[in-house]
Amino acid sequence: MISYVAATLVLVAIATIAGLALNLQWGLGGLVNFGLFGFYMLGAYVCALLDTKGVPPLAAMAAAIVVTAAVSAAVSLISVRLSEDYLAIVTLGFAECVRLFISYEEWLTRGTLGVPGIVRPFAGSVPPEWSDAVFLAFAYAWLALVFLLLRKITRAPFGRLVRATRDDATVAEALGKNVLAVRAKVFAIGGALLGVAGSLHAFHYSYIDPTQFSTTLNAYAFMAVIIGGRGSHLGVLIAGFTVILLLEGSRFLADVIPFLDGAQLAALRLFLVGAGLVAILIFKPDGLVREYRLRSGAS
Amino acid sequence: MGQLIFNGLVTGLLIALPALSLALVFSVLRFANYAIGSMLTVGAYLVYAFNAGLGWPLPLAALAGGAVGAGLALAIDRLVYEPLKGRGGVTLLVASIGVGIALENAVRFIAGSSTRGFAVEVARPLRLHGLRINQEQITTIATVLLALAVVWIVFRFTRLGRAMRAVADNADLAAVRGIPRRQVVCAVWVISSVLATLAGVLVGLDGNVDPQMGWNYILPVFTAAILGGIGNPMAAVAGAVVLGITEELATLVLAPHYRTMVAFAVMALLLLVRPTGLFAAQGTAK
Repeated sequence: MISYVAATLVLVAIATIAGLALNLQWGLGGLVNFGLFGFYMLGAYVCALLDTKGVPPLAAMAAAIVVTAAVSAAVSLISVRLSEDYLAIVTLGFAECVRLFISYEEWLTRGTLGVPGIVRPFAGSVPPEWSDAVFLAFAYAWLALVFLLLRKITRAPFGRLVRATRDDATVAEALGKNVLAVRAKVFAIGGALLGVAGSLHAFHYSYIDPTQFSTTLNAYAFMAVIIGGRGSHLGVLIAGFTVILLLEGSRFLADVIPFLDGAQLAALRLFLVGAGLVAILIFKPDGLVREYRLRSGAS
Repeated sequence: MGQLIFNGLVTGLLIALPALSLALVFSVLRFANYAIGSMLTVGAYLVYAFNAGLGWPLPLAALAGGAVGAGLALAIDRLVYEPLKGRGGVTLLVASIGVGIALENAVRFIAGSSTRGFAVEVARPLRLHGLRINQEQITTIATVLLALAVVWIVFRFTRLGRAMRAVADNADLAAVRGIPRRQVVCAVWVISSVLATLAGVLVGLDGNVDPQMGWNYILPVFTAAILGGIGNPMAAVAGAVVLGITEELATLVLAPHYRTMVAFAVMALLLLVRPTGLFAAQGTAK
């Protein structure tokens, strides 16, 4: 029971980090990333493959972060000049390509067999019975770090610039700002955070295969951002904890509702995610918490 | 070689239906409908229900499925897209992501995740000048050409088609001139969902009916629509054929499961070089 709760809490932290990454890219920067799970998968695989080759876990994680950040920037450059609709399909297409590549290039990724035996950070220095607790603390330390970092970025001049490019790219351009560079940077930072989330995923399961990565992560992240309020990291944090905890916790319902099997419950859960997404867009478009704004002296 | 081009042509025609559907919605409602894949899946399952469930022959089942699918699309428009009208393309886009997730999982919930096939007789392929032509390919070509002809006639020669083009061109001006936007939007959804349902049937004939089927086509469909210049319905058809043949020819050098990558590469290249689409008229403003 305790280990189940701990595992769920880790998953919530991972999904919330993904939600925060989306909040930076879409909430703050106005760049729809519909291929979230592809970058996440890339991070998980880079981390896992290096880790199982004997690279220290933390170094593998660092490499995963650098790779996803660089790849995110490159992908965003394909279409940041165009409207958001294009970025959404480009990121989705990229994610599908990542999944195909990892599923079929067996010499590198072992394909559908998956990568077993991923070593967690500090595995050598903590006794095995403490492994889960230490990893839980590790995941939450990352969540805290990501949250504080994003808050810092948002309140810095750079955050203001990002919001400006979102609200009116033409004005920002006219004021001499390089909109293209800003957007690529936003995408790269978001990608780095997805690299963090993916690495945590690999460490958490200690075995990864392509079936673990699906659009469910996308759905959770969009849900967290929309409910939390676009642009508000605190809102996303709150939404992550309530909504994703609720959704992940609903696995318990399988014991309570006997006439639905596991697959049906999973489908029902995602159906509710989809319907909920639409309902919030219609009825509570601003989400729980309003975006951070500089207070002007007068008000 | 000839066989590859022929296969590519058929694949392209298959993609043309949802690509046309996507471009139609984009041109009138001004958002990229990510639920197009799920609409295709739902259509295939509706037709499957009439075909295998009630034992109707496939053409009749396709008509019935198309009608139910159109009703569903109208209901979704009323519940989702109409209340969000005027809130910007990105909001509608994200809403359509939600609709897509909900639809696909409604299918999983009701029908389960196992793969199914339509109740049709297996026929032996024809041979014509060294080309191998499957029965399904003939069905695909005939259905798609017929559907395209109908849409083209509606678009070109009817009052409704003129109203659609007017709203697509300039919604405000159309409203000023007294064109009922609501009717046009409803008509667009009906056409769009019928096209998606037909595509679902053809995809199901070619392979299987399963909840993922529409999702697998999202990327090629968007690529085709962008090739044609999104928001330019008839050019989307040409884009689809170009994409189909490219994908098929690429199997000469790449493994067949990397088709999606070919579609992605084509799209990326296009967006970098010529984002207005291959066939867009040069120099037109907006």
